[in-house]
Amino acid sequence: MEREESKIQDVLEKETTRRGFLKGAVAAAGGAAALAAMGGIKPAPVEAAKPEKKAIMKYLFVERQNCTGCRACEYACSLKHEGVVRPSTSRIFVRKFHGIIDVPVVCWNCDDAPCIAACPTTPNALGKDPETGAIKLNEKVCLGAKCNKCFEACPAQFLRRHPDTGQPLFCDLCDGDPECVKACDEQAGNPQGPCLMAGKLGFGVNMAYKAVTPEKAAEALHLNFYYPNKAGERR
Amino acid sequence: MAAPKGGYFGRILEIDLTKEGYKTRQVSDELYRKYIGGSGLGAYFLFDELSGKVDPLSKDNFIFFGVGPLNGTYCPSTRLNITFKSPHTGLFGHAEVGGGFGNEIKWAGWDGILVKGKSRLPVWIHIKDDEVRFVDARKTLWGKDTHATDEAIKAELKDPDVKTVCIGPAGENGITYSCITVDRFRAAGRSGAGCLLGSKNLKAIAVAGTKSVPVVDNEQFLKAARRAKKLAVDLEAWQGIKRWGTAGLLELKNWISGSLVTKNYQTTWYPDIEEIGGEQAARVFWKRHTACPHCPVHCMKLGVIREGKYAGLIAEGPEYETGTMMGSNCLVADFDGCIKAIELCDAMGLDTISMGNVLGYTMELIDREIITYKDLDGIELEWGEVDAMIELIRKVAHKDGEAGKLLGLGVKKMGEKIGKGADYYAIHCKGQELAAHDPRGDKARGYSYALGQRGGCHHEGTNPKKHAQWAMLNSLVMCSFVGGYPWGAYTPQVFTAMLNPLCGWNMTDDEYWVTGKRIITLERCFNMREGISRKDDVLPKRLLTEKLPEGPKKGAVVTPEEMKKMQDEYYAYFSWDENGLPTEKTLKELGLEFAIG
Repeated sequence: MEREESKIQDVLEKETTRRGFLKGAVAAAGGAAALAAMGGIKPAPVEAAKPEKKAIMKYLFVERQNCTGCRACEYACSLKHEGVVRPSTSRIFVRKFHGIIDVPVVCWNCDDAPCIAACPTTPNALGKDPETGAIKLNEKVCLGAKCNKCFEACPAQFLRRHPDTGQPLFCDLCDGDPECVKACDEQAGNPQGPCLMAGKLGFGVNMAYKAVTPEKAAEALHLNFYYPNKAGERR
Repeated sequence: MAAPKGGYFGRILEIDLTKEGYKTRQVSDELYRKYIGGSGLGAYFLFDELSGKVDPLSKDNFIFFGVGPLNGTYCPSTRLNITFKSPHTGLFGHAEVGGGFGNEIKWAGWDGILVKGKSRLPVWIHIKDDEVRFVDARKTLWGKDTHATDEAIKAELKDPDVKTVCIGPAGENGITYSCITVDRFRAAGRSGAGCLLGSKNLKAIAVAGTKSVPVVDNEQFLKAARRAKKLAVDLEAWQGIKRWGTAGLLELKNWISGSLVTKNYQTTWYPDIEEIGGEQAARVFWKRHTACPHCPVHCMKLGVIREGKYAGLIAEGPEYETGTMMGSNCLVADFDGCIKAIELCDAMGLDTISMGNVLGYTMELIDREIITYKDLDGIELEWGEVDAMIELIRKVAHKDGEAGKLLGLGVKKMGEKIGKGADYYAIHCKGQELAAHDPRGDKARGYSYALGQRGGCHHEGTNPKKHAQWAMLNSLVMCSFVGGYPWGAYTPQVFTAMLNPLCGWNMTDDEYWVTGKRIITLERCFNMREGISRKDDVLPKRLLTEKLPEGPKKGAVVTPEEMKKMQDEYYAYFSWDENGLPTEKTLKELGLEFAIG
């Protein structure tokens, strides 16, 4: 782990070409700290030159250790998509485990999208947005409460049902400018940084993390935070 | 009788435990505008429906889980208010608590839950939007501590997102200062709400909701709420709270303010404070910062003890109040032991402030040889003896032996029972144990302790106007960290700017203050029925006579003149008579005609 961290430091400090940077980052991906490092590298120099055109973010990243469980992301998401604060319809959610762990659950935007493959409708109710790559739902085609295929297919157990329609809630990345990331950024600060970050590239991290269910993430965090409480017991 | 346009659903869930039934109570916009919600509306229900002198533990008493208009909206840092007639003091009682339960009530489509009657057998209640279900708690929950109860409910419902309130063994066993616990680590501590729930045989309530709060003018409301949130995010003073929580105040109050309660209010100077303070906690204990819904301050700190006797203990704290009452008040310099005592109180569902005060009081009585180890079942309690404290906390929670029964009374009744001048050392106001700010070092706290309607509570405002402000905060059910300071104790514009577009009102600053006064006056009317007047609005004798022997405020004492001035100022602000009773004219002006006589 230490070695990996030093590598990330190198990646951050060295003035690398974009290609070199990518290589280093992919090698480091997998360590939780890698996510923070990637979030830290915000606008690449090319984009900085023409600020008038906002970059389209295609992936969400989560630094789970930083989550305070404040649910600002749920507030912002439901406000954007439903026009009201209604966390039960939010496309991102924070699940609390044992009252001591908060796990933000996001759509990892899998490259192979098992949910799309599982969708039984013709034409397919699910499809990738050509611009952002986000998975979008065609509400007219979706079978709603009658069908359970995409819920079963999602490896991250991200999908929830809309309480009114019974259809799955898919993250559309707010067309490339995720509201949850902005809300998290505003909310956090001293002493920990924000937990949510957006990126233009997945770096393979999304694929590495997609199979981590909220329960597994909570278990890992529990061990990470509350060592030496190995068994996960309270005392 | 118009239905509310926004901010409220206009209906309150009224649960009758005796019949295991429930009904919907319609509430009009006029009533909401008069009492806002939370403790204000609770005070109205209590005054209206309870006759005077009713036994707080009888089935007639009820408990109101109240929320305000801002709960469940974009407004940050909204909480839960619990209002009831206190079994600890016999007076008006309320407690505020963070966590997600308040908002979840709102999202389930209710403006509050009114729990009446008394169940024959232990039950818990599951509320899912409009569905209400009574579940047998005998085998699954009864007797469990608060952590295990929360866990068991979530496992039974197979719903990890459900929000719970529950009581621990202390509440079940009728300890009058037991608390109600929300989300495992947050406690509605003061006034003994847990005891009341225990007397009703109600172990827990779980709520899950899927609705949203109606808003009249969404655009204007969001603008105001965003501005308000920005104020809280940017406030320089809260950067410390974000980093250190309230535990950072432990050192501050010792070194600078001279109001850190030490040795059962004998002094305010505690040289060992670094052993149990925020610095130490950050170094050896804290792991995470956690926040209430949509709150940018994240003042709650979770940690794990890494080595020693209690290695692996996961707990919340120390906060300023818990760290002082279980720490310096008992002269504890053992950080791990202090955390264990706090965690045990959380698990058992005991109010850490009252429990710490009781322990400090008992230590002093032992010290002065008024009682002996024999009265404590042979437990050798001395200043700083953490192990003895922990054993006694367990005994109190289970009402075990003579010690459990004695310490479970609270300092006022203990003093009366023991006699031999023991009541001089009992530090309480109106029967409620004082909290962790010594009013000799921090004189403004005297207003809060002596004149607050729920008795010795640090959280009622530090001058008359702030009392009105805090009454509003408790009725809006806002956090005082966010609602009280950055949004201004003297400028209600932040609130009215949010309330008006939210509820479709045109509330002015004047109306805001009048509403605050109205709520306080109604609470006072309730207490008046129980026989409270000027003579009860005083600080305990020790704080009026003994000078602080050391520390930054050496020699300070609250003189009787100062006490009298506080009372006069307070009664004048609320236009009460000099005996501290609301006059007929005042009641008429505030629209409380029904309270006359």
